[in-house]
Amino acid sequence: MIRFALRRAAQAIPLLLIISVVVFGLIHLVPGGPLALYLDNPNVRPADIERLRRSLGLDRPLVEQYVRWLWAFVRGDWGYSYADGRAVAARLAERLPATLELIGTSSLLAFVVALPVGILAATRRAFDRVSTAVAIGAISLPVFWLGLLLQLAFANALGWFPSSGRASYGVDTIGDRLAHLVLPAIVLAVVHAAAWSRYLRGSMREVMALPFVRAARARGAGPWRVVVRHALRNAAVPFVTVVLLDASIMASGAVVTESVFAWPGLGSLFTEALAKRDYTVLMAFLMCASLVVVALNLLADIAVHAIDPRARTAA
Amino acid sequence: MTGRAVSRTVSRTVSRTVSRTGRRRLRRMAAGLVLALTACSGRAGQGPSNDLLIVGYDREPDTLNRFASHILEDIETCVVEGLVTTDEKMNVVPLLATELPTLANGGVKLTATGMDVTWKLRPGVRWHDGVPHTSADVKFTVDAINKGDWKPESTDGFDRISGVDTPDSLTAVVHYKEVYAPYLLQFVRGTLPRHVLRGRDIDKANDYNRSPLGTGPYRVAEWKTGEYIALEAVPNYWRGPQYPKIRRILFRFLTNTTTRINQLAAGEVHLVPFVPWDKVRELRAVRAVRLNTVLGNGYEHVTLNQRQFPPFRDVRVRRALAYAIDRDLLVRTILDSLVTVVNGPIQPLSWAYEPSVATYPFDPARAAALLDEAGWKPGPDGVRTKDGARLAFTLITQAGFVIRENVAQAIQKQFKDIGVAMDVKLIDGTAISSIWFSGNFDAMLHWWQQPADPEITLFFASDRTPPAGRNINYLDDRDLTALLYQSDRTVDEAQRAALLKRAQRRIAELVPELVLYNTAKVDAVPATMKGFTGNPTNTGPFWNVWQWEFDGP
Repeated sequence: MIRFALRRAAQAIPLLLIISVVVFGLIHLVPGGPLALYLDNPNVRPADIERLRRSLGLDRPLVEQYVRWLWAFVRGDWGYSYADGRAVAARLAERLPATLELIGTSSLLAFVVALPVGILAATRRAFDRVSTAVAIGAISLPVFWLGLLLQLAFANALGWFPSSGRASYGVDTIGDRLAHLVLPAIVLAVVHAAAWSRYLRGSMREVMALPFVRAARARGAGPWRVVVRHALRNAAVPFVTVVLLDASIMASGAVVTESVFAWPGLGSLFTEALAKRDYTVLMAFLMCASLVVVALNLLADIAVHAIDPRARTAA
Repeated sequence: MTGRAVSRTVSRTVSRTVSRTGRRRLRRMAAGLVLALTACSGRAGQGPSNDLLIVGYDREPDTLNRFASHILEDIETCVVEGLVTTDEKMNVVPLLATELPTLANGGVKLTATGMDVTWKLRPGVRWHDGVPHTSADVKFTVDAINKGDWKPESTDGFDRISGVDTPDSLTAVVHYKEVYAPYLLQFVRGTLPRHVLRGRDIDKANDYNRSPLGTGPYRVAEWKTGEYIALEAVPNYWRGPQYPKIRRILFRFLTNTTTRINQLAAGEVHLVPFVPWDKVRELRAVRAVRLNTVLGNGYEHVTLNQRQFPPFRDVRVRRALAYAIDRDLLVRTILDSLVTVVNGPIQPLSWAYEPSVATYPFDPARAAALLDEAGWKPGPDGVRTKDGARLAFTLITQAGFVIRENVAQAIQKQFKDIGVAMDVKLIDGTAISSIWFSGNFDAMLHWWQQPADPEITLFFASDRTPPAGRNINYLDDRDLTALLYQSDRTVDEAQRAALLKRAQRRIAELVPELVLYNTAKVDAVPATMKGFTGNPTNTGPFWNVWQWEFDGP
């Protein structure tokens, strides 16, 4: 098992290197740069632009910029933000808790909804029809649109929840925090709850058709015991894998959700950094995100390897 | 399956799974949760008052160091004061200076090569830490910016200063190597506190850059990254203990425009500066909000890049395009009459404004005649051609700026009516800046927002094409260039105005760009707030924040 994990981890290193080259190249290929915003200001003279370009090292060849960045990055020096001059690692670290709070809550919410809905859809034909229609609708909803709709309904019209932000100014209570969390967490959870429930439903139906389930019924096991003890345990392996792999997709949804709800997490930071072409922040964010995706893939592989004997044989 | 059938199915399934008592309990729990969360969110009773004003702000600043900010940010304006500021009518008025130095009052003296400007500082002004604000701070600011070892956003004007003398603590004599006409705005960003920053790397002085020491009515109480900056009133503001009237101002960062407007409508924020024009109609229905509109010191226009698209070099083509646009229709329909049609780069609020210039009212017949005269004849597809070339070009403009996208489409149709084909390409806000700076475009719909000084050399002098300036029309006119440089070397306001008026008349004859309308500034403020006036320049509406107040405590 350890050899398998180490082998997979070693395979990830060249992948991350390739990702770093592609990401670095892409963000530098996009028109504009960290100084583009200054161009609109008549007070900033061309000589100022040139001076700032030199001071940020943007006048050096692209390859040299990349090599310098990579060498510093692997040594743990993520550099300073072009926008505000603060350490990039500190900027990411201060936004991380908010994003973890949002993604964690949304994942939990999606999981709690997907589990019973998936099971019921697999076992009750009528419920399956309804849940299919609802799930297709939920999967098709654009995140930003749903977010704005919920804001209008539950913040503006009904006044039940705050429309955005993570907390009210001067109020430091758990209730206030939770109230701010409700709408963004629901928006982020909806798509995943729908997708996961469909996946669990499919997986369950597949397992329910297998002979050992019929055998369990023949042994006199009750319907819920068959579903929970026999079918769900077997259907859960691929389901958990999908949930793990989906975390990266949820992170991309968080970028939009955080922007709509002014949630002060990594997603908002990414949006701001993109608009300002803050290369150092963008590179650190994208590399960390890539690292997480690779790590989650690795984790999923290891989990399957550990749980499923067929995977061990194949490996 | 019908709706009723669906409902029955769901109800049956739920009934099978959960008992009646359980359902009741679930309903009660859900209702209780909503009530509890709503009660705990503290949403009630947060209306604007002299205790707290919440501002919905469209961005989080990178720094609060006013010399490193992209523009004169509103938050800094509440904290750091300049020697001068600009008021709601765009007059430059003294702030930490006792008067404006001019030739007439002896504050400006021309020398053999340049000029000396004497700034008299207001006595009794102290930094927030109690240290007096003196001429040593003025000298330190000039030295720090000219030393060149940190990253101020702009060194404009400072690079023409040879030195500063401080004959006494309240007098600073600034020596210029050459005549610099916009000298009045030299210290509009304020000064740096010498006693805090002397001998330090200002780029890395995060204590100052995130919580600057100022002399203004407020100081930074808290900066919660990604969420807000909270300002609190200083106890001993130099205007007197009765100012400022509002105790705390909270700038909440809401980058998404719709969210910002939703929060305003819901009463979660009280003031939104610089409301996008397409949101104005929606906000008119919000009773708690008053929309304050002022003429802007900027103008929306179509830049015609003569270097990239040679037909624009013919003044007849440029004039024809000007006649083809029905600006009144655009303003009346797309812009809801929020803005005013203007005819040149210097705006009506400026002391250098020239109203009597050549104008180009909507006249498609005259436009067509001018194109005929220039040799552009209608082709088989309706698009005019000349020597095998089609009169077809691409206009770039900023994506996501709804009004601008609509105006571009309307102009496209109006050009089509006179046989000119124009494609519209939408580009994101950051990318578009580097595209125009490279000169790699045919035409562009955009605006210039300008400071109070009417200097326009940067935009129209022949030698100020990028990277040396912002003449992205690539206009090359010797007479105009001479006039503009002469105005830059003229300190006397009346003489300078005369030169700039001649320059405006010349620009109107040449039509280097298609001027559309003034960029009015609309701010949404609490209906009950007094003292708010707005501001047409990039000084921003917070210039007189010390005067704002509400009735009651």
